[in-house]
Amino acid sequence: MPETPGSSLGVSAAGATASPAIHTVALSKRFGETVAVKSLSMTVQRGEVFGFLGPNGAGKTTVVKLLLGLARPSGGEALVLGAPLGDRETRRQIGYLPELFRFQALLTATEVLRLHCRLLALPKRTWVEEGRQALKTVGLLDRSHDRVGTFSKGMQQRLGLGVALLGDPALVVLDEPTSALDPVGRHDVREIIRGLRAKGATVFLNTHLLGEAEHTCDRVAVIDKGTTVATGTLDQLLGHHSRVRLKVGGLGERWWSGLGRFGRCQQDEEWVSVEGIDPSQIADLVDQVVGLGGRVEAVIPEHQTLEARFLELLGEQ
Amino acid sequence: MNATLTIAMLTITEAVRRRLLLAFVAITVVVVGLSAWGFDRLSHTHSITSGENHLAVPEALILFMFMFSFVVALSASAIASPAISAEIESGVLTTVVTRPVRRTEVLLGKWLGLAALLAGYAGVVCALEFGVVNSVSDFLPPDPLLAGVYLFIEGALLLTLSLFLSTRMPTIAAGVIGIAVFGAGWLAGVVGTLGNALNVSALRTVGQVGRFLLPTDGVWHAAIYYLQPASLISQRLAQGGNANPFEAEGAPSWAYLLWVACWFLIVLIAAVASFERREL
Repeated sequence: MPETPGSSLGVSAAGATASPAIHTVALSKRFGETVAVKSLSMTVQRGEVFGFLGPNGAGKTTVVKLLLGLARPSGGEALVLGAPLGDRETRRQIGYLPELFRFQALLTATEVLRLHCRLLALPKRTWVEEGRQALKTVGLLDRSHDRVGTFSKGMQQRLGLGVALLGDPALVVLDEPTSALDPVGRHDVREIIRGLRAKGATVFLNTHLLGEAEHTCDRVAVIDKGTTVATGTLDQLLGHHSRVRLKVGGLGERWWSGLGRFGRCQQDEEWVSVEGIDPSQIADLVDQVVGLGGRVEAVIPEHQTLEARFLELLGEQ
Repeated sequence: MNATLTIAMLTITEAVRRRLLLAFVAITVVVVGLSAWGFDRLSHTHSITSGENHLAVPEALILFMFMFSFVVALSASAIASPAISAEIESGVLTTVVTRPVRRTEVLLGKWLGLAALLAGYAGVVCALEFGVVNSVSDFLPPDPLLAGVYLFIEGALLLTLSLFLSTRMPTIAAGVIGIAVFGAGWLAGVVGTLGNALNVSALRTVGQVGRFLLPTDGVWHAAIYYLQPASLISQRLAQGGNANPFEAEGAPSWAYLLWVACWFLIVLIAAVASFERREL
């Protein structure tokens, strides 16, 4: 999906719901001489799960803080759900799980959720059901009356996720949401994210765990040193970096030299690899090899992993 | 306003569950019990005349209340110093201020909750101590309610200052600075009293400036005034004026009370502005 940066970020009541979930233009943040975010332009459409990837210290959390109004930008412009950064009413539609998730240790899980229902100004009659549903979703229903101080880190992160889900938010910002979770918890988070997408919510997933993004995101942006180095769908990011390996018998030396239109070919005895092939053309490639009289014994498509592509992108910087 | 009350209730709930109030009340009951024994001994001693006893009881009460004023002030600083800073450091505040609430509401809610706790404590202290003295020594300060109110205001001023410091400084720094400033204010008051006694204008000025910059000592002296019976005031006047840091010359002037109100508002507004601008 193309980025649509522009100089104008006009907000209108009519356009508020049609606007992207997040739209930033040349957003930047300095801490003294240190540039944490440098001219960041990106658009997150409504209803998509957007992965915001980058190594530690890339500026991901700073961007999240800017988007939520916890910090002020040094330059650039941004709209969240069609409203300026930090807009109080818009915060009603945003659920947020911070990277540093801590809740009132002396309150029970139910009381924490009730506190947030109050702060969200949800109708009082909905508090019980909202709380119960959130606890059920994050798997804490049986600990609803236990004090948060007795919870493990993983349970507190689950509670934080439950807090972020209150009030049916249009945008859910998750900052490293599985950092304290075991594999079961991580699986549950993926299911929750998929559930949010099914309900039409936008999820902004800030993570350095690429597996999470690979499993759940519609689009991702890779950020390094405060600026985006790549944005797109996973296919767009990885599509030009797929490879297929063929084991072919019954043909002579350099039989493959005519297959250059599929990609960069290389032979290693009876194995031929075609780099950069469009995955949809693999069948055509096999047809052509058979047409040449070859006996195809194995076809092994190899997609570049997001991790490999991620390291490649960072290496290019 | 709803958010302010929500945060105030949360602050009170957390303090109660921390057993903070229980600890304070337990210590207070012990000290009040000891004071009851002391006042009983004072009332039954034969080494002073009944006239001297009528002066000794209120003086002893003022000394006890001085100790409680210290407890109220230091408690105010102790509970307000971490109110913002500790929650920023731990991250607890992050999920609160990203809700559709103003930071002003959060800060005012914290202030309201802590001030309610302080008022409750000041009320309990005054009720217990005045009750004990009245039953043992048959003495009640001329205006116990106003004395209690000024005791609370003294603590509330330091509470507000500590809350302001908490918006910008780590908990320990805010606490230490709050208590140090309170101590310096009290010391300036003592120096001013000495200046009056010795008729040294420079020392007197130190006291006046101190009470202007941090009105806690001035407010404490307002509390003293309402603890003193007329007999104590006339005896001091007969002796030629104020020469004792545990005595008050007169009721606080309206001008001074107006300044105290302005000081409180300035510091509270500074706290709100500081917290509003703080990046988390």
